[in-house]
Amino acid sequence: MTGSPKRAGRALAVLLACLAVSLFCVIYPVYVIRPFRAQGARELMIALFVTRFRPGATVVSAIAALIAAIAYWRARPNWWPRALAVLGVAFVSVLAALARVNIYELMFHPNEHPSFAAADQVKLDKGEMVIAVRIGGAARAYPIRDISYHHVINDVVDKVAIAATY
Amino acid sequence: MWSRDIAGLRLTFHLAGINNQNFLMRDDQTGTYWQQISGKAISGPLAGRQLTLVDSDELTFATWRSEEPHGTVLKDVRSYTAEYAPEDWDVKMRRAPTVIAFREHDLKGRDLMLGIAAFGASRAYLYDDVVKAKLVKDHVDREPVLLVVGQDGQSVRAFRGRIRGVAGAPDFYRLESTQGALFMDASTGSQWNFAGCAVSGKAAGVCLEPVEMLKDYWFDWRNYHPDTTIYGRR
Repeated sequence: MTGSPKRAGRALAVLLACLAVSLFCVIYPVYVIRPFRAQGARELMIALFVTRFRPGATVVSAIAALIAAIAYWRARPNWWPRALAVLGVAFVSVLAALARVNIYELMFHPNEHPSFAAADQVKLDKGEMVIAVRIGGAARAYPIRDISYHHVINDVVDKVAIAATY
Repeated sequence: MWSRDIAGLRLTFHLAGINNQNFLMRDDQTGTYWQQISGKAISGPLAGRQLTLVDSDELTFATWRSEEPHGTVLKDVRSYTAEYAPEDWDVKMRRAPTVIAFREHDLKGRDLMLGIAAFGASRAYLYDDVVKAKLVKDHVDREPVLLVVGQDGQSVRAFRGRIRGVAGAPDFYRLESTQGALFMDASTGSQWNFAGCAVSGKAAGVCLEPVEMLKDYWFDWRNYHPDTTIYGRR
């Protein structure tokens, strides 16, 4: 049993809208927040806003796309429009999964469990630069060649929680 | 270097993006995005909040170890050591392009600056100039500051140019050959070491107040300190 062309048209419009929303959610932040490109303040704020809310937005989009595809399937008897609708839902679902990935968190490798060695046990060149901190009775050094790779070290020095960054 | 405690929470940060070549951190607890250089929350539930600065120094390993023989050092993550920057990474970085430029004061984007944001003003010093001078006597706004180069010729610290218990702002002079002491002051005749503490003279045992200083590229410092003035430049 098939529905009206009008219903099929509405379902297709919803499906395409879901596709556009999900594509925007995934692509726009990557486009804006990419290295070797200047970030404007306003576009950065929009990109971060989208990044924060896209996991939920893309799931809603995927559910809406699925419902639209079912309606479209019922409205169109031909196999190829149905196949395209299924592909569309699959693509929106993939985008929903991608929206959960922060590419920077994949590109850069955090040091999740920092460990430390006594100053006299470490083999570093005398001239190697370190970021140094003294808190209470504890002194800590973070070699820059190390921290410039991991960028952020979540640490606790003498019971004080700090983020060493570079 | 930032405190991770804020608003009753202990945050854990990850690198999560970049903003004009200064990275963004995201905390796991609230999903807020923080600017690395400023410690300011720019997007998310804690937007507008400011992390508390933790005083730190950028020193050579030899200088740090001589001051902190019982300190501890971050160990490499073995699985990534092959990917760590080469020894001359700072030289290579100076040739890297920048995405924003401030053609002011005859400075290049990747010129290394020592920046001070204190006493209601921002002031930056060309690192190479400071290393060459060994002791820089200057003012940030109206407050006297000293920039002192360590005996290694690479490490630099900044201090407030006032001695506790001494009226006014004493004059300081670089010492060339005295072991342990790097400079002296004209008011008390005391000699001071790289930690900013008097090791001899009337002020022996007194320490100057450290001033937080950031080593940063010109483009990045200028981007976040638009009102900065530059030592020795107009």
